[in-house]
Amino acid sequence: MEIRPIFSALLRNSAGAILVSLQIAITLAIVVNAVFLVKQRVDTVSRPTGMDENNMFSVRLTGFGKDFNFESMVREDMVMLRRIPGVIAATPTPQVPLSGSGSSTQFFSQPNEKGNKEPVAYYGADEQGVETLGITLASGKPFAAEDIEYREKDSPALPKSGKVIVTKSFASKLFPNENALGKTIYDNLSQPVTIVGVIDHMQGSWLGWNKVDHVMLQPQVGPGPSTQYIIRAAPGQIDRVMSDVEVALKKAFTNRVVGKFHKFADMKQRSYASDTMIVVILGVVTALVVIFSALGIFGLATFNVNTRIRQIGTRRAIGARRLDIVRYFLVENWIVTSAGVAVGCILALIGGYVLSTHYGVDRLDLYFLVGGVAGLWVVGQLAAWQPSHKAAQVSPAMATRNV
Amino acid sequence: MFGYYLRLALASFRRNPGLTALMIMAIALGIAVCLITLTGYRAAANNPIPHKNDVLFAPAIDSWDPDQPYDKQKPWRQPDLLTYRDAAALVATDIPDRKVVMYKVADVISREDGAMEPETIIVRATTRDFFAMFETPFLYGGGWDEKADQGPEPVIVLSKETNEKAFKGANSVGKSVRWHDRDFRVIGVLADWQPAPKYFDVSNGAFEDPEEAYIPFAFGRQFEMGAAGNTNCWKTETIDSFERFTQSECIWQEVWVELRTADKVRAYREFLDNYVTAQKKLGRFPRPLNNALYNVEGWLKFNDVVGDDRKAMVLLAFAFLAVCLINTVGLLLAKFLNAAPAAGVRRALGASRRDIFLQHLVEAGVISVAGGIAGALLGVAGLWALRSWYTKVIEEFGRVLPFEAGSLILAIVISLVAGVLAGMYPAWRIGRAAPASYLKAQ
Repeated sequence: MEIRPIFSALLRNSAGAILVSLQIAITLAIVVNAVFLVKQRVDTVSRPTGMDENNMFSVRLTGFGKDFNFESMVREDMVMLRRIPGVIAATPTPQVPLSGSGSSTQFFSQPNEKGNKEPVAYYGADEQGVETLGITLASGKPFAAEDIEYREKDSPALPKSGKVIVTKSFASKLFPNENALGKTIYDNLSQPVTIVGVIDHMQGSWLGWNKVDHVMLQPQVGPGPSTQYIIRAAPGQIDRVMSDVEVALKKAFTNRVVGKFHKFADMKQRSYASDTMIVVILGVVTALVVIFSALGIFGLATFNVNTRIRQIGTRRAIGARRLDIVRYFLVENWIVTSAGVAVGCILALIGGYVLSTHYGVDRLDLYFLVGGVAGLWVVGQLAAWQPSHKAAQVSPAMATRNV
Repeated sequence: MFGYYLRLALASFRRNPGLTALMIMAIALGIAVCLITLTGYRAAANNPIPHKNDVLFAPAIDSWDPDQPYDKQKPWRQPDLLTYRDAAALVATDIPDRKVVMYKVADVISREDGAMEPETIIVRATTRDFFAMFETPFLYGGGWDEKADQGPEPVIVLSKETNEKAFKGANSVGKSVRWHDRDFRVIGVLADWQPAPKYFDVSNGAFEDPEEAYIPFAFGRQFEMGAAGNTNCWKTETIDSFERFTQSECIWQEVWVELRTADKVRAYREFLDNYVTAQKKLGRFPRPLNNALYNVEGWLKFNDVVGDDRKAMVLLAFAFLAVCLINTVGLLLAKFLNAAPAAGVRRALGASRRDIFLQHLVEAGVISVAGGIAGALLGVAGLWALRSWYTKVIEEFGRVLPFEAGSLILAIVISLVAGVLAGMYPAWRIGRAAPASYLKAQ
């Protein structure tokens, strides 16, 4: 291979090559880190909620006035809501999953704050809770109507029935390698409850929490005078059901405020808004930076071909084949790209290190660097393809002309 | 001479319209991305009350769990809220010029005569200095006095929006509304007021809307109302009444003090230390003594309002701008070298190296100005697209990505400086070229 002459040609007119290398270096650093960040965000956003979130919505109700009765309001509303066509199930709850607002506490596998200890987000629900959320129970069964306790006032006491349903990931932390169904767990006041159902998977209120899938359902409604209702509609009917429910709720009582309706899908989108924005901006920047680098390579190769028409003609005249000319320019370009990639690896690692130490990003996964290097090599060769082939078309007769 | 160089530059653009457009686009996109990320950064890094930055302070004391810090990632951090009893103690002193203790509550507002649709509103239970300390603008009336705080007297300050809903925007001072099934007399109505970030209550969301009404703090206890904002607890204790909740180690209260002199700051620090030390003797505050007094900027930084994401995005945006500029330098170099014979002719006819340099620098400058303007337009369009997309998802998004002239001017200045820097080397190269070598071949 004619590496040496390519090198000397590059060194004679190095400014353009250095600029393109530098551009490729920074491009690699940006692309590798940006793609890594995007991949992490996309992974986070696409985690399953475990619920039928596209068909669910919630609304807050707050009672007021002297003759307001919380329990009868909830009971009557539930009967009414469940009769509305298109409503699959409905449940009252003080807090709503995915909403960003909720309550958490911790439980122990043994009394007196002993054994394994795990935090968990908890939600009140009635006998239709499991069906409303659209979650699947790996074992056990939903609450029965007689398990549900209605509360007027706030209290630290756990539900009287002593039953709870928890997610598998929470249960497996308290009882590793054991079936949690039927086990008793304790809060920090040593009040016991029994696990009567294990949920396959479900996300709680805070999507940014690393224990977002630690969830507990308690057979409890209240305390009043404010509560939320979660309603699950038949697939594709959520908009109609939502407006029917709004009309029905507003008609039913006067001494309460019917708040805003929130679709679960919207709440999820809202929780991930900044992640989505980062993905959009970084995606656009990554695409642009690759395009610009390709254009830079293309421009340099075109410039080199244009300024060497006579030289190419001479080489052709003394016996170089078209393939030799194409190869010459592709190799030249490969050298420029590789120099850029080499510096780029260092820049990418420095960038990844700075991001991980100063900006709360995970350590850069080196597979992304390998992928970035391979990708830029391919992009570089593709960008030089057309100019190289144009060079191969130069006629040997050009050697004799003044250009 | 400048006019002549400008004409030469335009003639040169006409010769290579595609290449020129490419260079302008590269600068424009680099500037646009910087503008968007800078806007997000500057909005979050904004100090809404810079002239009181050094007199407003949020005290922080570490009342948390002896076994683990409040923030495991940053163990030096104090909790961002206070217990009820500590909050009460921290304002029970005459050292500050002004002081406020507060938290958020929620309940239904209505009018006796049914003139408004009942609605659940978020109310700030606070003390009288709130309005003067945070400089809330009043449309009608004003805040309440010490007597109202002590009573407490049922007075209420409405936000402009709430006054629209309850009184159709009319002067409602002296009229009454029902809230939490009690009558409250309207004593003031705020004008538009939306500090961003909401520095006095970062814990409940730095870009949240201000509350919809304000009532004397003491009603919170009288009505036994828990917080409509964050409440965090660490201690094992039976909390079976509101009274016990106020005596618990749960944190849910906020305190700000206004200290106008360095002496007062010193005195208040001493007061904090004395308080916590005395409490330690009673068996509270099991963690090491770690008191702090944050000014506005310090408080925003302490709560990391800007966030790592925004900083990382700005970093990446500038790296992207660098790529765009290097691209432009390369293209300019190729373009100028292609046009070298023309420069050779001008040199031969008497133009100095400096003339050739300036001529090409003007050409680069025109490209960068065009790129800067196009970038500003693109950036504003991008911001607009992001905003209109996200305000559907998050109401307060306008506050996270506001349009503001500062970032725009910054972006244009950056593009000018960058463009001239990018033109420097190619213009210098072409200016140095020996005229003879180009004349020979003609």
